[in-house]
Amino acid sequence: MFENFGQQLYDNIILLDRYLIYLDGLKNTLLLTFGAAIIGTIIGTLVAICKIYAKQKKVLKPLDILCDIYLTVIRGTPAMVQVLIFGYIIFKPNMSGNGMLPVAIFALGINSGAYVAEIVRSGIQAVDIGQSEAGRSLGLTNNKTMQLIILPQAVKNILPAIANEAIVLLKETAIVSIIAVADLTYSGILVRSRTFSPVPLLLIAAIYLIVVLIMTMGLRALERRLSRSDKRN
Amino acid sequence: MINVIDLKKHFGQIKALNGVNQTIEKGEKVVIIGPSGCGKSTFLRCLNMLDTPTSGEVWFDGEQVNAKGCNVDRLRQKMGMVFQQFNLFPHKTIRENITLAPVQLKLMSEAQANENAMRLLERINLPEKADVYPRQLSGGQQQRVAIVRALAMNPEVMLFDEPTSALDPEMVGEVLEVMRELAHEGMTMVVVTHEMGFAREVATRCLFMDEGLVIEENAPSEFFQSPKHPRLQEFLSKVLH
Repeated sequence: MFENFGQQLYDNIILLDRYLIYLDGLKNTLLLTFGAAIIGTIIGTLVAICKIYAKQKKVLKPLDILCDIYLTVIRGTPAMVQVLIFGYIIFKPNMSGNGMLPVAIFALGINSGAYVAEIVRSGIQAVDIGQSEAGRSLGLTNNKTMQLIILPQAVKNILPAIANEAIVLLKETAIVSIIAVADLTYSGILVRSRTFSPVPLLLIAAIYLIVVLIMTMGLRALERRLSRSDKRN
Repeated sequence: MINVIDLKKHFGQIKALNGVNQTIEKGEKVVIIGPSGCGKSTFLRCLNMLDTPTSGEVWFDGEQVNAKGCNVDRLRQKMGMVFQQFNLFPHKTIRENITLAPVQLKLMSEAQANENAMRLLERINLPEKADVYPRQLSGGQQQRVAIVRALAMNPEVMLFDEPTSALDPEMVGEVLEVMRELAHEGMTMVVVTHEMGFAREVATRCLFMDEGLVIEENAPSEFFQSPKHPRLQEFLSKVLH
């Protein structure tokens, strides 16, 4: 399998400027990850806030039910099936290549939002109830209390978990190759189909690993940074 | 100023308040004592609707606080509250803790609020702490700041919910001192506390609560020297050594 390893490396990476295919794939994978993370964070935050407000006000009950349906469906079905549905049913079936990229970002964002919602909800609820009581006792409205007192404190609980969710998401993006989005995994499949060598798949695994390690280092730094303000002085 | 009529509050099966009637006049310092679980904190929290009464009426300044459509946020601006756990905002500096509500509610400009905050901090001898965060203060200092944070709204009444119960013993005095000064200035105060010395010295009226009812009320001298209800006699014999 690995005879002429040097030659195989050359054939799978350098020959015909194939490294450009991987680079392009990596670029799309990163776009997918960060795009979906941003969409997921926005959706997740909205859903979490809806659910918390719905607990206080009965008028919002329909919205609460809507959120529950979203959470149940998204968390109860495979992400790959969701991507397929978004790619082939909800959006035009004849889109391909880069046209599918925004669709895939959107689909993954919707998927991620369901998980982020839970992170945000528990992050908000972890803020001591006394904080909101103190805000309300001063005459601040529910909204102002949420915006000025609860959310700024909740962010500290939430940020590391969202960064972790982004790392999970990076690996999850590999499934979009099923709707022919040219991500990193797709680039590996593409080159392999020409060379029949083990190198492309091993190479993309290594690239995923490196990106995950870099993101994990970033997460650690973020956690250190956030915990610093917990200390006195 | 505050009028409470047949106030009941049930938490599921637990009857925290069982029909409390009270009238609190401007300038009074009402101290509420009683065993834990007797409903005294719940009573205080029903006055500003942090707990919603199950039935009965709470009136403040001629408005029914627990009526549908009552703007509770506006009434709360006039009812300062101090909590057992201080509840300062940890992500805001001491100065910001004090100025946040007056500025957000557009009662003062930022400059006015800052000036007012410094005046209040000087009053509790902590002007040098204006720009530090709550975690850097001792418990006693935090509670003094919490008191002036409520005062910054120029409230008509101050509610104290066991303000010294979470403090180390050596810090109780400094908090009680601020409350004593406030009482001398004529502030209307409703205080839930276990500090019998403070009750005896500052209160104009003491209430004893048990099982969700006010079962005895009197001027402090009578209240402590000749308690009538056997439950109060028993309670005082346990807490006064």
